[in-house]
Amino acid sequence: MDFNLPPENDPRRLEIREFFEANPRPTGRQLAERGYTVPHWPRPWGLGADPELQLIIDEEFDRAGLQAPARLNPVALNNCAQSLLTHGTDAQRERLLPPALAMEEKWCMLFSEPSAGSDLGALRLTARREGDHYVVRGQKIWTSLAHKAQIGVLVARTNTNVPKHAGLSQFLIDMNSPGISVRPIIDMSGNENEYNEVFFDDVKIPADRLLGKEGDGWALTMAQLQTERVALSKAGAIWGSGPSARDLVSELIASGGIDDPLIRDEAAKLYIEGEIIRLLAYRSLSDRMNAKPAGPEAAVRKMVAAPHGQRIVDLAKRVQGMSGLITGNGAFKRTNDGRHMFDDWDYAFWFNPAVTLGVGTQEVLKNVISERVLGLPREADPTAKTPWAELQKSKLKTAV
Amino acid sequence: MNFALSEDHELLRDSARSFLDKEIDLAPLLVPGATVKNANYEANWSKMVELGWPGLVIPEEFGGSGMTLIDLIMVVNEIGRTLAPGPMLGVLAGTWALLKGASTEQKASLLPRVASGDLKLALAVADESGNADGPGSDAKASAGSTGHVINGSKSFVIDAAAADILVVAAEVDGARAWFLVDAKQNGVQVTPLAWRDITRQVCTVDFHDAAAERLEADDATIWPWVRDRILLVLAAESAAGLQQTLASSVDYAKERVAFGKPIGAFQSIKHVLAGMFGASECANTAVLFAAWALSEDDPKASISTAIAKAYATEAYVTATNQNIQIFGAIGFTWEMKNHLYFKRARANAEMFGSPARHRERVIDILRQQAA
Repeated sequence: MDFNLPPENDPRRLEIREFFEANPRPTGRQLAERGYTVPHWPRPWGLGADPELQLIIDEEFDRAGLQAPARLNPVALNNCAQSLLTHGTDAQRERLLPPALAMEEKWCMLFSEPSAGSDLGALRLTARREGDHYVVRGQKIWTSLAHKAQIGVLVARTNTNVPKHAGLSQFLIDMNSPGISVRPIIDMSGNENEYNEVFFDDVKIPADRLLGKEGDGWALTMAQLQTERVALSKAGAIWGSGPSARDLVSELIASGGIDDPLIRDEAAKLYIEGEIIRLLAYRSLSDRMNAKPAGPEAAVRKMVAAPHGQRIVDLAKRVQGMSGLITGNGAFKRTNDGRHMFDDWDYAFWFNPAVTLGVGTQEVLKNVISERVLGLPREADPTAKTPWAELQKSKLKTAV
Repeated sequence: MNFALSEDHELLRDSARSFLDKEIDLAPLLVPGATVKNANYEANWSKMVELGWPGLVIPEEFGGSGMTLIDLIMVVNEIGRTLAPGPMLGVLAGTWALLKGASTEQKASLLPRVASGDLKLALAVADESGNADGPGSDAKASAGSTGHVINGSKSFVIDAAAADILVVAAEVDGARAWFLVDAKQNGVQVTPLAWRDITRQVCTVDFHDAAAERLEADDATIWPWVRDRILLVLAAESAAGLQQTLASSVDYAKERVAFGKPIGAFQSIKHVLAGMFGASECANTAVLFAAWALSEDDPKASISTAIAKAYATEAYVTATNQNIQIFGAIGFTWEMKNHLYFKRARANAEMFGSPARHRERVIDILRQQAA
C-alpha cells in the first residue's frame, strides 16, 4: 500500500509540462491532437491513459492555469461521446468526434422531461420513422448548455408497443435543426441559462443520426450516466466544482471566524469529511489501476459528497449573518481561478439545492446503493412490464 | 501510488478472521448480569499468543515479527469486528511506550517476554478527569535510594487487571515522566471499574510507595508518538465494528418481515442503511490512510490519526444507535449482541479524547500550518 501521488519529476508529467510551456494558450485542436482532452480513451482519440496518468494530466492543466477540457465540454467528454466508440458508425465518428474532442462543438444531454425525472424510462417525447429520417415531437427540460450546444444527445420513444424501457432510442442531433426552440429556465438563484427547456415541434432528424439500433436507448443512456471518468473531484461543493472544505477552513482561519467555537466544530467536521472524500476518490482510482471492476465507490462518493458540499457553502453563508442575504455578497473571495460561476461563494450557496437533485436525486442514489450494493429488495415499478401504449390507455381511463 | 491492500495483507486479515470467527464466543456475555469476568480474557489471550499477536509490532531483534501498522490494522480490524475480549490494546500500548521510551537494555529484557506472551503490559496514562495528555498526573513519583517510588492513582487503565507490568505516566519535579512498575507488588492496587463495555477490562490503579523504574525518554518524546498509535487502534476497531454493525443491520432487514415484506424493502430502512454504508466506507478509508501515514512517518500522520479517530468512532456511535432502531425492541435486550457493539462504540468514542476533542486538534494543526 502506498498513498504517495505521482512525484513531481515523473517523466510523463515533465513531458506535459514541456508542452504547456511551449504552448501556454493551446487551442482545443492542439489539445485534442495530443490526446489530452480524452486521455482515458484509446488511441487515436486519447492516450489509453491509466488513472495515474489521467491524474497527472488533470494536475498539469491546473498548474498551467487552464480549464479542464471536461469542464468545457462535459457532456461529450465525460458522458456521451464515448458511446460512439462502441455503438457509432464510422461516419458518425468522423463527423462528430473531432470537433467534440477539440471542444469546438459543445454537446448537451436531452434526457429529462417534465414528467420523467428520476423515472427517466417514463419519458414521452417521440421519434417517428418517416423514410430516411425521424420526426421528433415533445419536450425536454433541465438541459444544461442547450443554448450553447451544437449537438444534442436525445433519448426518444421510437416504439410504443413494448414496455417503457424497451422502446427508447438515442439520436445525435444538430441543435440548429428547424423546429427546435430553447427557452431558459430562471432558477431560484436568479440565474438563467444554466438550465433550459427544449421544445421539439416536428423536428426532422436524418436516420443516420440514430446511435446504435432502435431500442438501445435505455442501455446507452444508463451507461452514459454511469460513465465517470476518473476525475479527481476537488471534494468541493456543487459536484466538486465549487468551494471545498479546505477553502472554507483556510478562509475561516484567515478571517478569524474559526475563533467561534460553534463554527469551529462544524468546520472541523467538514474538513474531515472533505479529506476522506478525497481519499475515496484516490481509492477508486487505485482500484481501477489494479484492474478491479469499478465498484460502488462512485455512487458512494456522490452520496457523501453532495450533502457535504451543501454544508460547506451553508456554513459559509451562516458565518455572514444577515449580510449574507444581500444579493451577490459572498462570504469570501472567489475560489480556484475565479473564472467559473461556482467559484463564487454567494452563487454557490443559492445554487446549492440543485446538487442533491441533478444527475440522480439523493433518494434514488440511496435506493441504488441499498439495492445494488447491500442487496436489499428492489423498488417495485408496476409500470415496468406493460407495453407503453397500453399503459397510456389505462392511464387515460383512470383519468376519465 | 497504490491504495489497495496487498495479498499479504489480505491473507493476514483472512487468517485473523477465520481464527476469531472460530474461537471467540460472546455467548457468556449475553447472560443477564454478565461482567467482563465472563469475557474469557485469559483463554482468548492464550490463543492469540499462539498466533504471535503480542509480538506483531515488536521488532524482530526483540523477538517480535516487526510488522507494519498496516499489517497490525488487519488484525485489529478483526478484533474490533468480533469484539474479541483480551488484553491486546493494553499490551500494544505498553509495548509502544517501551519502544519509544525505554533503554536498549530495558527493551532487551522485556520485549522478548512480551512477544512470547510471557509478560503482559498495560499503559497507565489517564487521570480521574479522563485527561491523558498531561502535563500533570494524579500519580506522583519521587526519587528514592534505589529508584523511584510512586504514590497516587491512575484511572481508566485498559487491561490493568491482566497486566504484569504497568507503564505509568507520573509527575516528577513538576513534569510528567514515564515509569515501569511491577503490577504484582504490594504497593499497587488494581480495581476493575464497573465499565459498561464488558468486552474490555478497564481499571483504576492506586499506588502506595510503589517501586518504579524510570524510562529514559521524556514525555514529549513518548506520549504523542504512543497516543497516535492508540488512536489508530481505536479508530480501526471502530471502523471494523461499524462494518459489522452494517452487516448485521442489513441481514436483519432482509430477514425480518412486517406488513408482508422484509423491512429492508422500506425506503426509511434502506436509506438509513445506504447512509451507514457510506459512513463505513469513509471510516475504513480514513483508518487505512492514517495507518499508512503513521507507518511512513508522513507529515500528515498526526492529523490523519485525529481524523480517523474523530470520524470512525463517531460514525460507529451513530451506526450502533441506528442498528438497535432497525432491530426494534429485540435489539434492546441484553441477550442480543447489539448492546455490546453500542457500548464498545460509546467507550471507543470517549477514550483518549472525544471526537469533538480531536476535531479541535485538527483545527489546531491547521492553524499552526497556516501561521
